[in-house]
Amino acid sequence: MGRAYSTIAFDPAKCDGCGDCMMACAQAKTGTSDTARSRIQIVGRGNATKDATEDATENAFELALCRQCADPKCVTVCPAGALAKDGASGVIGWDASKCVDCLLCTVGCAYGGIALEQATGHVAKCDTCDGRPACVPACPKGALTYVTTAKIYNEVGDWEDLFAPGLAGCQGCNTELLMRHTLRRVGPDTVLATPPGCVPGMGSVGFNGTTGTKVPVFHPLLTNTAAMLAGVKRQFKRMGREVTALAIAGDGGASDVGFQSLSGAAERGEQMLFMVVDNEGYMNTGMQRSSCTPYGAWTSTTPIGAGCAAGQPAQGKTQDAKNLPLIMVNHRCAYVATASTAYMEDLYAKLERAIEASKTGFAYVHVYSPCTTGWRFASDQNMEVARKAVETNFVMLWEFTPGEGLNFTRPVDDPLPVTDYLKAMGRFRHLSPAQIEHIQGKVVENAKFVQRFSEQAHGG
Amino acid sequence: MSTTTLEKPAVGAPTKQKVMLCEGNEAAALGVALARPDMVAVYPITPQSSLVEHVAKLIADGRMDADIVDAEGEHSVLSVLQGGALAGARTYTATCGPGLAFMFEPYFRTSGMRLPIVMSIVTRDGITPQCVWGGHQDAMTVREVGWVQIYCETVQEVLDTTVMAFRIAEDHDVMLPVNICLDGNYLSYGTSRVELPEQSDVDAFMGAKDVNWHVALDPMKPMAVDPLTGGSGGKGPATFVRYRKSQCRGMQNALGVIEAVHAEWASRFGRSYAPLVEEYRLDDAEFAIMTLGSMTGAAKDAVDEAREAGRKVGLIKIKTFSPFPVEALMRALSKVRALGVVDRSVGFRWNCGPMYQEVLGVLYRLAREAGTVLPAMSFIGGLAGADITIGHFHRVIDATERLLDGPAPNEPVWLNEND
Repeated sequence: MGRAYSTIAFDPAKCDGCGDCMMACAQAKTGTSDTARSRIQIVGRGNATKDATEDATENAFELALCRQCADPKCVTVCPAGALAKDGASGVIGWDASKCVDCLLCTVGCAYGGIALEQATGHVAKCDTCDGRPACVPACPKGALTYVTTAKIYNEVGDWEDLFAPGLAGCQGCNTELLMRHTLRRVGPDTVLATPPGCVPGMGSVGFNGTTGTKVPVFHPLLTNTAAMLAGVKRQFKRMGREVTALAIAGDGGASDVGFQSLSGAAERGEQMLFMVVDNEGYMNTGMQRSSCTPYGAWTSTTPIGAGCAAGQPAQGKTQDAKNLPLIMVNHRCAYVATASTAYMEDLYAKLERAIEASKTGFAYVHVYSPCTTGWRFASDQNMEVARKAVETNFVMLWEFTPGEGLNFTRPVDDPLPVTDYLKAMGRFRHLSPAQIEHIQGKVVENAKFVQRFSEQAHGG
Repeated sequence: MSTTTLEKPAVGAPTKQKVMLCEGNEAAALGVALARPDMVAVYPITPQSSLVEHVAKLIADGRMDADIVDAEGEHSVLSVLQGGALAGARTYTATCGPGLAFMFEPYFRTSGMRLPIVMSIVTRDGITPQCVWGGHQDAMTVREVGWVQIYCETVQEVLDTTVMAFRIAEDHDVMLPVNICLDGNYLSYGTSRVELPEQSDVDAFMGAKDVNWHVALDPMKPMAVDPLTGGSGGKGPATFVRYRKSQCRGMQNALGVIEAVHAEWASRFGRSYAPLVEEYRLDDAEFAIMTLGSMTGAAKDAVDEAREAGRKVGLIKIKTFSPFPVEALMRALSKVRALGVVDRSVGFRWNCGPMYQEVLGVLYRLAREAGTVLPAMSFIGGLAGADITIGHFHRVIDATERLLDGPAPNEPVWLNEND
């Protein structure tokens, strides 16, 4: 496979044109506060300002910045060989000693990514500050992000995909993505347990003797995954063989009827990696509520009452979700983490630690997994819904070890209002203002609660 | 008929066996240790608790090299063993009563997956009313779940049958889980003299450890275990039917394997048990009583006393309850003209003992094939740990004898009701 590179991404919807990024770049690259010398340029469009209406603001600003193109026109047109793409980092470097100041490169670039810097008389361009771009952390709105997921691609892109193509998931379901990535990372010396739920439903164990899985896979009972997997692992250990015991389970079985087995295995420190794909319900059997279903959510067993339109209550689930990962923290597992497919680097880093931890104890990874079908959103919106969950603090990404305590891996200090998340889905469409207020209150309360775990771990 | 291919290693001179005094639960634990399992999973429940305590102690003392899993309940106990067995382990556990009820979901599945797990049921009566005492209600309740079930009469038989159970379960023509049923309270805590075979002799009896043939979950040869069968219209039901049929075939094969294993045990260790059905003073009997488990001792004494009084009574003990030994029973029943069946549990649907119900099927076969209609009646006794004494068996013998000349009642006789 080819190589992928990191890149600076810009979200115009978040940019208010404050110019802090330009200031940071100018200072980092020239030691001055002259934003004209910044290699990142935010350009206002039309008459829009930061005080304009929301709709106008969305496209008010544009970015002029080197994209570090894969097939860079600036390099192609340079007659002096002063521009070259670094094969390892992907960064297009400029060599002052070779440049003849012809400016053909500035004509070649369609993005305004390389331009004449009047103060020096030479062209200047972004070099990503050796992978730590100064502009990104300077942006107060989070409109700039340094996307480094290319690292995952380069590391595991050539590894074998341990699921055959053509699994039968719902359109837009990210569980297939999760299974492929997890298996790829865990590798072929694995025994996989997929209890009843969406994962076997999409064909991991298969039908009538055929399967899409390239590692040995079995279908435990909904109630006994952790116990059965413990037996498998122990016997391989007894035979002196290194085999990873991996469970990919749904939230329903894990948090409800399979919880005893899960808790028992965690208490005994069984050596396995137990992953819960939390789509907040029994989604493969018709979208019924589980104890992980959030307050207010519509499910087929927490329906919207007929009086709802007339202003009556009886709207969706009437209890808050069980916080299963925090419960697992209280088992003092070797490793516990929450993750989201919207943050793959974070997930990969956690998988790595979880696999390592599973060699000596119980490792638990809880992945929040939006369900296009049961949550009622368009199938192309999965990552966006997952991301909104984190950006609103509805879902918090952290990891725990007994030695290091609980640490946030992607802290959200300035969360978006929870309505930004709720309105992305049909299952919350019916919510009354009071219910939304309840959910927002719980999000704040949960954030404080988890924060306390973190602080306790660090003597705060 | 069985298609067993049991290998018969050459029998050497039997080593002198150690004689000791122990309770039935300890005898079961010693039998387990002799069979050298790889993995045991335990959860305590009365009256099984001292059995798993003995197992734990044997492991702690280094007298048994097995991985012990102290699971959080019977449901997980059997589940852990399923995982172990799927990875090739020889596995063992024990339970009873509510514990067996709690493990029902994996219990059903163990026979479905054809896993050679061995489990003692230290039999206990059912709740409610609350009862922690002996009875056969637990084991009888699960008689249609596809496990081999063998009942024991004495503490020595518990020890010997426990070892034999592993050979039966792991036989390639059987491949089914086996329950050794020992009566709660009577055999679990009953202390008596037992002979303990030498480990080397048991090793020779067991043969080379050959459990890895049932490793199903091996990354070296990846495959899916227990994939979903399709619904109607596809090949699913046909696959399912063929699978079920093969389970039944394995169960029928077990009859021959149980006989062969018992015969080899007798030749090696000098103790023989009727493997399926024991006939006691039956050859010249006019009528018989039928027993199961530890009640048989008192019943034999009562039969002996009745014989001394000149009455032509014999006894049929069922040892292998599942698979039900139909042919052996037909041979035994063809010798008599009336039958009284003593159950230690109840059949709620038929208002009689469950073993009696099973025997009715054999009696029908007898009527159809030999033209003999045998009057029979049901006795229910020993519930909730009650004694079935020699006196009770005299009542059974009296009532059964009356069947020779009079009508057979449709109601069961409830022993212990007015004790």
